[in-house]
Amino acid sequence: MNIFLLSLAIVVAGGAIPLFTHRKMMLTKWVYLATTLIGCITGLLALFSSVESLGEMAWSWSWLHAFTLAFSCDHLSFFFLLPIFIICPLAAIYSFSYFDKTENSLRMAVSFFCTNILIASMALVTMAANILAFALVWEIMSLSSYVLVMYDYEKAITRTAGYLYFLFAQVGALLIFAAFGVIFSHTGSMSFDQFATVPAEAKLVVFFLAFLGFGSKAGVLPLHIWLPHAHPAAPSHISAIMSGVMIKMGIYGIFRVYVSLGSTELVIGQAVLVFGMVSGVLGVLYALGKHNLKRLLAYHSVENIGIILMGAGIGMIGVSHDNVVMAGFGFAGSLLHVLNHSIFKSLLFFGAGAVIKETGTGHVDQMGGLMKRMPVTGRTFLVGSVSISGLPPFNGFISEFLIYFAAFQGLAYTNVTMILAILAIISLAVIGGLASFCFTKVVGIVFLGEARTALAEEASEGNWFLTLPMGILAGACLVIGLFPGNFINLAFWGLSELIPSGQVDKAAIGTIGANLALASRLFLFIFIVLVFVRKLLYRSKVVSQGPTWGCGFTRPTARIQYTGTSYARSVVNFFRPFAMVRETEVRLEKIFPGRTVYEARVDDIAEVGIHRGVALPLLTLLGKFRWIQHGNVQLYIGYIIVTISILLLVSFI
Amino acid sequence: MESFLTIALALFLAPLFPGIILKVKAFFAGKKGPPLFIKYYTLAKLLRKGSVYSTSTTFVFKLGPLVSCAGAIMILLFFPLAGVTPLLAFHGDVIVLFYILGIGRFFTIAAALDTASPFQGMGAAREAFFGTLAEASIFAVLVLFYRMTGALSFTDYFTGTTPISLAGTGGALLLLAIVALFMVLLTENSRVPVDDPATHLELTMIHEVMVLDHSGPDLALIELGSFYKLFFYSAFIFLIIFPIDASLGFLRIPLFFGGIALVYVAIGLVESGMARFKMNLVPKFVLTSLALVFFAAILTMEFIK
Repeated sequence: MNIFLLSLAIVVAGGAIPLFTHRKMMLTKWVYLATTLIGCITGLLALFSSVESLGEMAWSWSWLHAFTLAFSCDHLSFFFLLPIFIICPLAAIYSFSYFDKTENSLRMAVSFFCTNILIASMALVTMAANILAFALVWEIMSLSSYVLVMYDYEKAITRTAGYLYFLFAQVGALLIFAAFGVIFSHTGSMSFDQFATVPAEAKLVVFFLAFLGFGSKAGVLPLHIWLPHAHPAAPSHISAIMSGVMIKMGIYGIFRVYVSLGSTELVIGQAVLVFGMVSGVLGVLYALGKHNLKRLLAYHSVENIGIILMGAGIGMIGVSHDNVVMAGFGFAGSLLHVLNHSIFKSLLFFGAGAVIKETGTGHVDQMGGLMKRMPVTGRTFLVGSVSISGLPPFNGFISEFLIYFAAFQGLAYTNVTMILAILAIISLAVIGGLASFCFTKVVGIVFLGEARTALAEEASEGNWFLTLPMGILAGACLVIGLFPGNFINLAFWGLSELIPSGQVDKAAIGTIGANLALASRLFLFIFIVLVFVRKLLYRSKVVSQGPTWGCGFTRPTARIQYTGTSYARSVVNFFRPFAMVRETEVRLEKIFPGRTVYEARVDDIAEVGIHRGVALPLLTLLGKFRWIQHGNVQLYIGYIIVTISILLLVSFI
Repeated sequence: MESFLTIALALFLAPLFPGIILKVKAFFAGKKGPPLFIKYYTLAKLLRKGSVYSTSTTFVFKLGPLVSCAGAIMILLFFPLAGVTPLLAFHGDVIVLFYILGIGRFFTIAAALDTASPFQGMGAAREAFFGTLAEASIFAVLVLFYRMTGALSFTDYFTGTTPISLAGTGGALLLLAIVALFMVLLTENSRVPVDDPATHLELTMIHEVMVLDHSGPDLALIELGSFYKLFFYSAFIFLIIFPIDASLGFLRIPLFFGGIALVYVAIGLVESGMARFKMNLVPKFVLTSLALVFFAAILTMEFIK
């Protein structure tokens, strides 16, 4: 425990030092990188050395001599600490090369400071055991990430994104604190252990308030609106940390409230599953409609949070039905997907950042042919794309398989559970198909083909600070896919508290792990055999190069290639009511057509809905009270006098 | 031992069957048609040639044929050909295998987009779209089979303790599944009415146009992969209609291959009798199969208590 606190202290100190030494940029960057790496590795060592005795990792402080902040660690906290200590040091390595302008050195120092505060506060969120401690570190986490998003504060679009993020973070916190308030009113205690004593109807209210609040942080539709704005605005390694690690803190909150309440109502699991399905399908659909690289990755985070919630929902339904296999595999799939997603999403954001830095644009339709110019980035991005589409032999498939396994268990029941299980299986299949659709689009249009603009033609590979984290993460994706057994066991270990009624048979888990490993390795083996066969077949053959066959068209250019919009068009039109497509109408008015401009946008139905349904009416209603704020200071003093007199009257009557 | 024999026969004989489709179509057109071994001659011709690679392509272009062929071979290793226990099987292998077909599709599409040609892009976009809908249908079929047998493995479906059979409880629901699977076969293997493998007009094609730039042994690997995939889907449909009992002994193999030939004849009949759909009707076609299987899955609530 002391080592763990020491590691957090090193991390915070490593963030504070740049504020003083920022004028010497290289020195600052090296010191920051070294301290952050040391801090995170020490944290990992502290965790792994106390695996057997997690209960001992508990401490409490007294704050302002009136409040106690209590922290403790259990299996669930341990599991959620892993992405923090794995992804954040890689982001620190990446940021070394990402921040290279000396005139921004103070801004860079502030960014380093807030990153490390974010890392420390996320670690403390997973360890909080007390309402007050949780609220304190949650708010520190939200505020530090807000400062990080606002790195490019001169741009209006960044300010809008930051403002939207701040708004949703505070609304989410409001809902979470409301839930805590309901609990406190029933139990009178701040500790998480007392949650179970709340009466049953209140438990439902608490869970749904907390679900909406944590869901807003996690990026559950319809409260995900800040995600697609904040992620493109932030620097790429910050997007990687936010998308890979921070939104998982929302998922952690949902799990923690669920465990602490101990409710086995069926409606909880059903609601989580439905929200998961909706987020998954609509998230991937909007990702297809968007053509800004980081925005589409942000929507994919929404989709993967949907998959995680589907696993969690199936697990909760399993607990309600007392089906240990369904509950175990559902939660295991959900937890393993948390880990897997943090790995491949960070990988994809690092790649996107490298590409955007080199080409100077974020728009997919202006790139192309980057695989030849940025080979390492291209290959690792390809690995990340195949992983996020959930395809074997990489890691995304392993967690999706566990969720399928649990969902098939749900088919044995009747009525609502069976229908939900059928819908869950079909929506997982659709989500997987649409995700590979979207990532073939991204890989095909960004990395393959020919460069569409001069910017893309002059791109080149970054230095090893940018490519090393990507390589490590790509390797991790393959390793988890080829050796799934250990990671599945880790996920089952992590969910020990989630299933009160016992554990899944270890032999069953072992068989599944071994079978998945067999399938992945067999596929890799057949593939390698075919590679050798192909080499043999080509041994004495004439191989030549030529231009792509153009069906007799003799003047091909890079502009005749398919673009992202055209590639995704049929599927987006298919989902019309949910994907609000706005296109400019191109009409021929004269005999000889003149220059024309075409624009197509896909609008997020949740964003439009909340804007038109909640924000605008609220603003018109509140606008009617504008007359109170007239600007006359004397009358404002009058307001104060009137309020004090009323309060004095009320308290003496 | 029998497992090795059946898989070797399947891998060797798979190119024989598409010749049957061509013969049936020629019969309806009043022509003699190409010889039955035409696909073997095609493979031999392609393996003799070299390749021309486009200057726009990268290593991904060469990966496409390898991954799709590897996937198609792998799925045959898990399938109980001729009712014989396959070489490998485990609970949940159906999910893994359909996702392996999915990674084959991913790399075929990526290879198509690598050529920087709008034709390949067009085919890739269509393939990705229709493939996603077909995946939904297939998983609905898996849901139906799980409701009926409680199994998630090809072996358990056809050679297990409660195999799928038209004569069992809920057997009538299998008729819906057979029709739906046939529609998925036509979609996934680029047959009329979804795609026409005979013409070479790129604007109207899906699969044909995605492989336009491949040549030589690469194209041979792609063709081989497509033969194995079509063989798998036909075997799947045939074993649902007519599960081959283990008691038949050595007769199982000729019966199996004869039955598959009949499925290919049925494909040939469909190709001769229908024209290709307009592109915007294809999603409706695929979704009809999803609706049929979904309906069958709901009906199991009544048939299987």
